[in-house]
Amino acid sequence: MASVTIIGDDTTNTTTVTAEIADGRVLVERDALPQALGYALKPEGLCRDDTCVPVRDPSTLFVGERLDIAAVASALGRPSVVDPDAGIVAIALDHERRRDALQSLIAPDFTLPDLDGTPHSLSQWRGQKRLLHAFSSW
Amino acid sequence: MIAVALDESADAVRPWTDGITLPVLLDREHVLTELYAITNVPAVVWIDEADRIVRPNSVAFSNDMFKEFTGVDAGPHLDALRAWVRDGTLSMSADEARAAVPDLSDDDVRARLHFRVAVEARRRGDDTVAGRHFARAGELAPMDFTIRRAAMPLIGEDPFGQDFMALYQEWEAAGSPFNGLPAMTDD
Repeated sequence: MASVTIIGDDTTNTTTVTAEIADGRVLVERDALPQALGYALKPEGLCRDDTCVPVRDPSTLFVGERLDIAAVASALGRPSVVDPDAGIVAIALDHERRRDALQSLIAPDFTLPDLDGTPHSLSQWRGQKRLLHAFSSW
Repeated sequence: MIAVALDESADAVRPWTDGITLPVLLDREHVLTELYAITNVPAVVWIDEADRIVRPNSVAFSNDMFKEFTGVDAGPHLDALRAWVRDGTLSMSADEARAAVPDLSDDDVRARLHFRVAVEARRRGDDTVAGRHFARAGELAPMDFTIRRAAMPLIGEDPFGQDFMALYQEWEAAGSPFNGLPAMTDD
């Protein structure tokens, strides 16, 4: 058993869960999935808030009694990178957020903290013209 | 304006934003480079009152500090921006905007994932694991500055020094790829 960090994004916090590492796979108990990925495995599929992603064959997500994080991410259509030795997992955003935006030209909402840690969302300034300026110290 | 720093800590950003009152957000996991398909900075996106992207990812500078190096004059974009803010004048049609930004490839996405793993490993003090993932990210997206250049200060390289100059030359030789619109000119 090991402590595994699952890196978050703008809608999910980075979280650390206890997992079994076996054959390069990170395996979590079914009950731990909501904490790990923000989704619960239900008969309807992988569910988060009001939406469920149907899973044709849920047995493919399991290794024994535990869920394979990478398999669950894959079932959500989200690529992942798993470093089993370091105990770190990164999962891509739902690609629809990006693809829909590129096609529809509707700016995808996001929530990020300011330098004091207070979260802000693009949508809080809806009704105003916005210039989004991505920059860096490098 | 909403400024978003693709940086690992508020401390890295503060020297650049001291005195600025507009919102400055910190994007440690580089969510925006995935969500908006951004591959270099600065990148600006014009978003109207109804959340429509009226000008997608573009190279644009707010001043001419780097004009000699980049060859980009800040004037034309600033003029166009003023016209949009003042009169709603659009710089392009929706069709042109839609065609301007290609989607990320699977490798581009995987590069971002490896970058995030590398940053987390580095946070824990595991530079060996971090180095491995930064390197893999760079292999997957070699022309992406939000991967290659962003990693430099995190692996002890100078993003304004020799290692960067070598990357810049490599990038120029490849046609200076940018996932979006090139800088506006007066033409």
